[in-house]
Amino acid sequence: MSEYTVLGKSVPRVDALEKVTGAAQYGGDVHLPGMLHGKFIRSKHAHAKILNIDTSEAEKLPGVRAIITQDDVESGRRVFATDKVLYLGEPIAAVAATDPDVAEEAADLVKIEYEVLPAVQDVMEAIQPEAPHLHSDDTKDGPARRVLRTELRKLERDDSQDHSARIAELNAQMEELADEVYYNVSAETHSDAGDVEQGFAESDLVVEDTYVIPRVHQTYMEPHVSVADVESTGKVTVWASTQGPFAIRSGIAGTLGIPLNQINVIATTMGGGFGGRFGVALTHVPAVLLSQKTGRPVKIQMTREEEFTDGRPAPGCVIKLKTGVKNDGTILAREGLAFWDSGSVSGASIGSTIRLRGVYKFPHLKVDAYGVYTNKSGTAAYRAPGTPQVAFAGESQLDDIARKLNLDPVEFRLKNMRVEGDPVPAGPNEPKVGYKETLQAVADAVDWKNRTKGPNQGWGVAIGDWTNGCGPGGMFVSIHEDGSARIFHGSMDITGTDTALAQIVAEILTLPYDEVTISRGDTNSAPYATGSGGSVVTFTMGNTAKLAAEDTRRRLLELAAERLNTDVESLELKDGQVSTIVADPPKSIGFGELAAYSLSTTGGPIVGKGSFARKPSTPALAAQIAKVEIDPETGRIKVLKMASSQDVGFAINPMAVEGQIEGGTVQGYAWATMEEMQYDEGGNVNPGFVDYRVPTTADLPTVQSVIVEVEAPDGPFGAKGVGEPPITPTLATMANAVADAVDIRITELPMKPEKVVDALHGNGK
Amino acid sequence: MKKHPVSLTVNTDTYDLLIEPRKTLLATLRDTIGLTGTKEGCSTGDCGACTVIVDGKAVTSCMMLGVSANDKEITTIEGLASRDQLHPIQQAFMDKGGYQCGFCTPGFIVASKAFLDENPNATEAEIRHALGNNICRCTGYTKIIEAVMSAAEVMRNS
Repeated sequence: MSEYTVLGKSVPRVDALEKVTGAAQYGGDVHLPGMLHGKFIRSKHAHAKILNIDTSEAEKLPGVRAIITQDDVESGRRVFATDKVLYLGEPIAAVAATDPDVAEEAADLVKIEYEVLPAVQDVMEAIQPEAPHLHSDDTKDGPARRVLRTELRKLERDDSQDHSARIAELNAQMEELADEVYYNVSAETHSDAGDVEQGFAESDLVVEDTYVIPRVHQTYMEPHVSVADVESTGKVTVWASTQGPFAIRSGIAGTLGIPLNQINVIATTMGGGFGGRFGVALTHVPAVLLSQKTGRPVKIQMTREEEFTDGRPAPGCVIKLKTGVKNDGTILAREGLAFWDSGSVSGASIGSTIRLRGVYKFPHLKVDAYGVYTNKSGTAAYRAPGTPQVAFAGESQLDDIARKLNLDPVEFRLKNMRVEGDPVPAGPNEPKVGYKETLQAVADAVDWKNRTKGPNQGWGVAIGDWTNGCGPGGMFVSIHEDGSARIFHGSMDITGTDTALAQIVAEILTLPYDEVTISRGDTNSAPYATGSGGSVVTFTMGNTAKLAAEDTRRRLLELAAERLNTDVESLELKDGQVSTIVADPPKSIGFGELAAYSLSTTGGPIVGKGSFARKPSTPALAAQIAKVEIDPETGRIKVLKMASSQDVGFAINPMAVEGQIEGGTVQGYAWATMEEMQYDEGGNVNPGFVDYRVPTTADLPTVQSVIVEVEAPDGPFGAKGVGEPPITPTLATMANAVADAVDIRITELPMKPEKVVDALHGNGK
Repeated sequence: MKKHPVSLTVNTDTYDLLIEPRKTLLATLRDTIGLTGTKEGCSTGDCGACTVIVDGKAVTSCMMLGVSANDKEITTIEGLASRDQLHPIQQAFMDKGGYQCGFCTPGFIVASKAFLDENPNATEAEIRHALGNNICRCTGYTKIIEAVMSAAEVMRNS
């Protein structure tokens, strides 16, 4: 892409200086005069009735200014647990005090009487009749009962003839499927294409397995924090570390019944999010309530332990999967049934279950998914939500099939991949995609065909697919009298997006990169911007930036035409000036001069506007190959090589893109090998970094990132969303490498050393 | 709670303070002195975001009481750059893209400085081992290691 001067270059990020000097202001760095500190009083049980809440002792502690419970929530919307708690760590009350240590002392003095109830943590137990039913005794049909019931309902509605015999038969068949009566179901989704039974009948080989993927925490390094300041007039200001300031604004308005125009959300620099920093419920609303009650600013900052007990992590799930293929490696059919652990509220990423189809031509596909309530906190998005889990199942099973049929796992995948125009099972036809290019690129990068391995060593390959989201955003670009440009918008920078926007504007205005600055407004000042998640920002705000810069260019050309006594068509932007395209003698005028001149024109200052909502997104693929070595004594998996390719459409800033690929890959590696939120009946038992292991510098070698660029027709300069795809293949990449090294198939993550040892001795899964 | 007098030298400035004995060095730096560049990621000494240098050694400041830092010399992220020049480690993190959200970055840079000051010729394996107390969730560490390796070279040559 050599035609660009700023785009496609690894320029340092716009926020580099503040990040390396400690100057960047995160949520916890906000300190207001007179500020109080809030702490939660949390449930000590995973499931219990609350019999009594006694705050009297806590209120007597010097420095305590307010203690609130659900009784203080005038809107009636649930902020705190009242009659019943559904998980360990659920907030029951909150206290505000002059000092964080005093607030913590006070929280310990609040006495809560409980009647402890049986709890359920395992999804497969939770669907059983004997499990505690968290919200109701309602039941849902499993996949086979669902098919029967659909026919039953149809026949019952049809009065044209007598169906009583068939109806009795269907009822009897449903009775027999008693194990398909599911309790504690929070949500369900079903899709199918073709006829899977026919597909399996035509297959030469049918493989069936159950995969178990644990709940993991996004583990952003900055715990949730907010500072709320409610003025006596009722105006609310919230400093929040969030991926979506506008969603926080509407969330506070909706929860507390405060008019939207009375709320200003000031988003601070954000210490990581990965999808876990959208929710309104955790700290923002309680901070506003405490500030309303005390008339003082209130900060609530969660501890790491609270993050583990009351964060909103990625759901674990159990996936039963069946795939049928011909002996020549043609995939025919797949049937998947997933149970997602949604915790105590609905909302697990069950919609992603359809991605069990991968990017392959499945003529026959059937996918059924259920969200299941358990006594855990609710869940949230985590980097391509739901897809790492289903890709683990789908790509592990394909690997077993390749092994059984003695096919090269790369060739087997390439053979079955969809290309542009192919029908997507239960979806529209493929647009322009780069699936094969992306897998081939990573295979080439490691010289796959000539790979070698020693004892206990193995190679694993896997892919994962994703499509970036899209959403509304607005932006202004102004030109100042010094000729520089400033971007003003309201979208949260997630690790490089502001830099990409500055590069886009600089390119279009032909300015040097450092002549473009960028500011984020609060929700009172900035135009609306969709939340920064779903790999949305570069696509959406990039398109917005393009429009705003083009609008700015239009105004610059108009003004220059006036000043140079020519018409707009004879002018172009070049090197930060407006110049005549063909003219003798050549004439040009600087942006600074035009900006100064604009102030005295009837049209006024140079402000370009961009407003964008939606264009079709294009799917992106990530593909990975790992080489591992297993220590048969300890079960330790040592990664010898990790290569990760991704189709990003166009890499606006290759260094930032590599950073996303490297980071996502390592998160996936960690999910595969070490991360797991563990629960017993009492709740989460590993709420800290000693027991919940995340990778460090000592764990992994350098990740080799391979950028593939298959242009997205509607992306800004061809770019696609970048942030989420790289985590999607890694769970399976690692499991496939282990299978290749020591001939064991681990279907239950994480592959901790003890599990590998057990599997080697034939004891594990 | 009764407060105790302490004298801390932080980045060449001396602070005479009255602090409660339960306050950590981290809380003292952030809340009392107002140096918020040092971050709180876990409060249990496991993530390294709060790393500062105390008398030449890297310390997780959430695990040290403020009163224990009496009469000690402390360097925080704010003390690394001179008025017109970044420390070579800061420059390398910038140039190599060794940070993303930036929350762990002060801890990584300060821990790297403490280590490289003592071990200017460290190998990649030694650097990986030394930084194993710091958690970064965004970068996957590839570019952090590149940055520290390149800073070490700059520091050796200056």
